[in-house]
Amino acid sequence: MREKWSALMEKDGAKAVAASLISILIGLLVGCAIVAVSGLTNAALGPSSVWDGIRLVLGGILSTGRDAAGNLTFGFNPANVGNMLFRATPLILTGLSVAVAFKTGLFNIGAPGQYLMGTAATLTVALSIPTTSVPAPAVWLLAFLSGILAGALWGAIPGLLKALLNINEVLACIMTNWIAANLVTWIFDGSIWRNMEENGKTGYVYKTARNGVETAKWGLDAVFPGSQVNWGIIIAVVLAVAVYVFIAKTTIGYELVSCGSNRHAARYAGINDKRNIVLSMAIAGGLAGAAASLYYLSGNTEFYWSTYQALPAVGFNGIPVALLAASNPIAIIFTGCFMSMLNIAGQQLTNLTGYNEYITDVIIAAIVYLSAFSLVIKMLIGGRRKRKAPAADSGPVPAAGTEKGGGDA
Amino acid sequence: MEAENVIEMLHITKEFPGIIANDDITLQLRRGEIHALLGENGAGKSTLMSVLFGLYQPEAGVIKKNGEVVKINDPNDATALGIGMVHQHFKLISVFTVLDNIILGAETTKAGFLRRKEARAKVEALSQRYGLKVDLDAKVEDITVGMQQRVEILKMLYRDNEILIFDEPTAVLTPQEIDELMTTMKEFAKEGKSILFISHKLNEIMAVSDRVTVLRKGKHIGTVDTKDTDKQALSDMMVGRSVQLEVHKEPAKPGEAVLSLRDFCVPSRAHKRNAVDHVSFDVRAGEILCVAGIDGNGQTELVYGLTGLEKCAGGTVTLCGEDISHASIRRRGANMSHIPEDRHKHGLVLDFTLEQNLVLQRYREKQFQTNGFINRGAVREYAQRLIGQYDVRSGRGPATVARSMSGGNQQKAIIARELDREKPLVVAVQPTRGLDVGAIEYIHRQLVAERDKGRAVLLVSLELDEVMNLSDRILVMYEGQIVGEFDPKRTDVQELGLYMAGAKRMDISGKEEKGA
Repeated sequence: MREKWSALMEKDGAKAVAASLISILIGLLVGCAIVAVSGLTNAALGPSSVWDGIRLVLGGILSTGRDAAGNLTFGFNPANVGNMLFRATPLILTGLSVAVAFKTGLFNIGAPGQYLMGTAATLTVALSIPTTSVPAPAVWLLAFLSGILAGALWGAIPGLLKALLNINEVLACIMTNWIAANLVTWIFDGSIWRNMEENGKTGYVYKTARNGVETAKWGLDAVFPGSQVNWGIIIAVVLAVAVYVFIAKTTIGYELVSCGSNRHAARYAGINDKRNIVLSMAIAGGLAGAAASLYYLSGNTEFYWSTYQALPAVGFNGIPVALLAASNPIAIIFTGCFMSMLNIAGQQLTNLTGYNEYITDVIIAAIVYLSAFSLVIKMLIGGRRKRKAPAADSGPVPAAGTEKGGGDA
Repeated sequence: MEAENVIEMLHITKEFPGIIANDDITLQLRRGEIHALLGENGAGKSTLMSVLFGLYQPEAGVIKKNGEVVKINDPNDATALGIGMVHQHFKLISVFTVLDNIILGAETTKAGFLRRKEARAKVEALSQRYGLKVDLDAKVEDITVGMQQRVEILKMLYRDNEILIFDEPTAVLTPQEIDELMTTMKEFAKEGKSILFISHKLNEIMAVSDRVTVLRKGKHIGTVDTKDTDKQALSDMMVGRSVQLEVHKEPAKPGEAVLSLRDFCVPSRAHKRNAVDHVSFDVRAGEILCVAGIDGNGQTELVYGLTGLEKCAGGTVTLCGEDISHASIRRRGANMSHIPEDRHKHGLVLDFTLEQNLVLQRYREKQFQTNGFINRGAVREYAQRLIGQYDVRSGRGPATVARSMSGGNQQKAIIARELDREKPLVVAVQPTRGLDVGAIEYIHRQLVAERDKGRAVLLVSLELDEVMNLSDRILVMYEGQIVGEFDPKRTDVQELGLYMAGAKRMDISGKEEKGA
């Protein structure tokens, strides 16, 4: 058993999984510590709140509220799980966006901007084509595709700048993020899609449901009653598998990864590295655009269009999702769900205790921080095993060890 | 009477996880001798020197200086014992002057202020005494590689070192500079300094050393007097089997020109002039044309321009009758194999598996893909054939990650990939750099076999032995221009050296007048 375990840990993939799990564990511990410290130093909270808080941080997804006696109850909560899947949908896609760029040796920190452009295109199409004359599913599809296209075009800009002018894609991405943020504000500010029908909602764009455009639920509402989940999560999973197949099995994927691993060697082999940089950024942008489309096409989500002051967090959260998954598209399905699960836990904290959801932001921050260290953790795992290996070898020859000790004396 | 040993390394054993780098090695350096340390890559030379410098602590064995056991914990201890080393890659600060580099770390100071005048006087005296000409006020970045090496030697002398270690000192020098270095080394020995000379160049070892210690795979194979041995015996000791030092080949039967360059220019990345300046030559089917020259005279750029890695600044390249001066790399690859100079930068994607690397240019061919999906089975089968045919050794066969393979086998994999593409032109740039004698022998045979199949081979090499051995025709490149064309049978290393150093040049505007 121990040998099997050792052999398993020799594998790179296993090390990556272990490193991610360690990051998550430490992040959760940090969260619990903060719950404890803030609870014990605050007269309004106290030890019993700390115990409640820790249980919710670790098991918020299974929380079913409080019973008559005021004790927390736990069990399968379909609404929580459904909402987790709903919120995981855009995270999985922005995670894929970042991962595809990583595979090509690029850092796509421009997902928020691509997400915003995708949002603008999707909402514009979904709200402007009347479903009285065009069938709603057709409008849905058109809106989805235009979101992807807008994200792809926006992502291609830093790609082009990198390929043609050798401008660092991180700088270009950050700038295009803010250009997108202002552009989107400007588009909706003068538009007819500002919500004038409900009081105090002019800061928001109409929900797509107003035009009868909604992502189908097809039975998911029966499995997870009371939640927002829809078939968007299925589309996200299918896209994750498609990205995996694309990268691992196709010639274009081979080209992209070879450019990412060694641009010089790829060029030497006659691969057009510039085209691949643009292509990779466009695919990354398209995935971020798809994230926005699936989120806003659910029909019930509102878009706060004054984006010029803050970029959507879901774009940036794609980075830890991809890092925790070591850029593996299949693993991203799970890390995306995990991140949205923390989100739900935060919601439960706000609803059921004196804590608020910002505790989970701290946990996410710790995990993001540690996921950047996951490479280091991976190395530590490798290093410990390496040190152990020679020790095991010298077991039968203890003389070597004693001689070494004697030499120092 | 036995001469006195200055440094003795007795029964040194140094282990690393999974490998014994030094296994009971004994090396005795006598006062006033030049002692060569010979071995292939990975034989344990560097490890042994690191032990001597205190960078590694041996598991067993002792080091003695003048018969007394000493403990060397770090390089400072080594310096205190008078041990100095000229590294293969110089350890100089390029923006400092020569003088500052020499005194760095051993400055004469008074009340915390540098006493440059005293230092200068001492360095000048040393420089005159040994004929080591350097410009003390020039910055290191502006001086030649040969002068940089003299700076390194002066650094050792300035510190009054009496045990001098030279690690592959001749790799970067012209034949004339090598001769000068040999003379200097002999002079040092005459004065009672002891020299340890690490090399795998048998000619130099035979010319300069008194004794030779041979290592192989971490083991001490033997120590012999140079006068009692010869090149063949040494190389057999080093490799462990009989090696063919000379390449046996039939006279070339050159055919039509496969590649023609006319007034070819390639810009330089380092300066504004062209790195390749109006170069014209032909490579014909069935010949090995060798471009010789000291590193940095435009050979790298010539190949970059030719293969499309760098845009050309003028002139034309014609390959198999097609003008490819501005063609894409892939288009050029249709008729050209390229064994690149830097196998880690260009030759391999180190994080890919061996099989993925073996189809680096061919993954798009029909046999390896269906509708854009890579056909793994076909790739595996192809890789297995190449691995068998070219004897590429690796831990896990086709699935081995390229990074984990040894340098020799990485190079074999590149050679297998390139030669199996069966293109009319083979461009090979320093194909044997850093490889051991066995691998070099193998690669040379492969290149001659390519030639005999009627392919044109353009070989760029810095190793004059390789140039003389392998080529059918030699071009010497100096400062971006072709300054001479030679028949290897009618020239020698000395003559080539004069052209390589820019001391002589011939008018070769009437091309091919000396053709075979």
